[in-house]
Amino acid sequence: MNQNLKYFLFVIPAIAYIGVFAFFPSGEAVYYSFLNSQGQFTLSNYKELFYFNIGGTIINTIIVVSLALFLELLLGLGIAAVLTWEFRGKKAFSTLVIVPMGVATVVAAIAFSFIFQTSGGYANSFLKLIDLPTFNWYANKYISLLTVAISDSWKNTPIVALILLSGMLSIPRDLYNAAALDGAGPIRRFFYITLPNLKKFIAIALIIRGVSEFNIFALPLILIGYHPSILTTLAYDLYSTSTIYLSSAAAVILLAFISVFIAINIKLGGGNK
Amino acid sequence: MNKIKYIIPIILALYFVFPLYIIVLIAFSPAKYTIETLYQPLIFKGFTLNNLIFAFTQYDFIGPFFKSLAVATLVGVLAVIIGIPAGYGLSRLPDRVAYPALVLLLITNMVPGLIVAIPISAEFIRLGLFDSIPGLAFVQELITLPLATFILRGTFSAVPREVEYQAKIDGASSLKYFMDILIPVASAGIAAAFLISWMFSWDEFTYAIILSPIHPTLPIEIYVNITRGNLLAAVAFALVFTLPVIVLTLFLQKYLRGEYLTGGVKA
Repeated sequence: MNQNLKYFLFVIPAIAYIGVFAFFPSGEAVYYSFLNSQGQFTLSNYKELFYFNIGGTIINTIIVVSLALFLELLLGLGIAAVLTWEFRGKKAFSTLVIVPMGVATVVAAIAFSFIFQTSGGYANSFLKLIDLPTFNWYANKYISLLTVAISDSWKNTPIVALILLSGMLSIPRDLYNAAALDGAGPIRRFFYITLPNLKKFIAIALIIRGVSEFNIFALPLILIGYHPSILTTLAYDLYSTSTIYLSSAAAVILLAFISVFIAINIKLGGGNK
Repeated sequence: MNKIKYIIPIILALYFVFPLYIIVLIAFSPAKYTIETLYQPLIFKGFTLNNLIFAFTQYDFIGPFFKSLAVATLVGVLAVIIGIPAGYGLSRLPDRVAYPALVLLLITNMVPGLIVAIPISAEFIRLGLFDSIPGLAFVQELITLPLATFILRGTFSAVPREVEYQAKIDGASSLKYFMDILIPVASAGIAAAFLISWMFSWDEFTYAIILSPIHPTLPIEIYVNITRGNLLAAVAFALVFTLPVIVLTLFLQKYLRGEYLTGGVKA
């Protein structure tokens, strides 16, 4: 145990560091959210959030998170599946599809702000080219949120694909061979072998991405600004235009949602250590 | 079936390259084919360097560039300095002790940036760290330290304990063992931890916009240029800003695998 104590001492600086820079401010934010500008305890910050349509903001956030997760999972499954095939140029393909990971969010956001515009823009140029009607990518709240989700999923699909790929590679080839011998085609094999065996990996990808999706900030800020608002853009809007107490309250609501994901994550990890 | 094997990868690859292609297209095309027209052509109709020349002569690139460089380098150095002992300790501790520590690091990685940044901005103003290079680096370290620790833990786990015992028998002190044996053996992992930390800081937006708005880093400078309508400058900066990170990403492919990105959650 003495030996372990020595090793534990090595870890202390890192733990102390995150204690000072993560847990102390988080606690402070919760504390601030119950204060008024005179430093007295109050619930008025949370009440005031209703003037800023906190209910709608939460719903918008959940819509973006769900749409983005769905798209990432769909595309991620596609890429992971392709990466299990053998074909010429596979190396080039696997390199190209992780490129978005290296693209800063702010850069992705600019690119998509040129691609998706209310009228014109590269997406509509493309639709015109193939003789389809053009589309206003910000026609209403829901379409705006979808546009954000599409742009976000572009950047984050590679991570999901890599997680799913490690899952797919862990499925024994024998299962596929046996199924093929029994006459199951590629589509049936995908639904009856790949998907059920991937359940755990899908869950991990969803939870890890779910936490990050609640935090998306630069992308919605650049693409749609503060309307429709999501939790991060609302908190930032309040931070720049109002008191630190009110913006802390908005941030605490964000923290509450993320805590749910963190709790699931720990539980999931705890079952498999 | 054979045709599908090529068509699907090609479509997916095009999809993932398209936004970057658009950045390159706008950066090197005359404005009349890009931002000044409604339905822009999807291919190069002309080639010019004027956008880049204009952007780099008329707008401040150097200031934000060096701020980003300084912050990212400091973040990388801190990650290695704190991450090496932490990664080493965690690789040697039994799972029942290491696991809670890893979970703690994992949670930190998930705490929303805004909830940390908002109160810290008030503290930093009091401490004189607001808008400073170390101030921003200290906070960005929160994202990269857990990541660096996971990578280093993996690297050190691969070094057998017998090497340590042997070094002790041969009379090496703990410090000598660390400096002369462990660190050289783990140098690839250490480099990866440094570069990944560097990269995350280089791209980071949320902390940077709240904690360093007056002398911004490059991502914030790009954002400011968009909001002011200097679109061509934003695109030109974005291009130059992205290149080193893409090179690093491709270079670090091996380390950007699921296990690190999932923060050590095992399936």
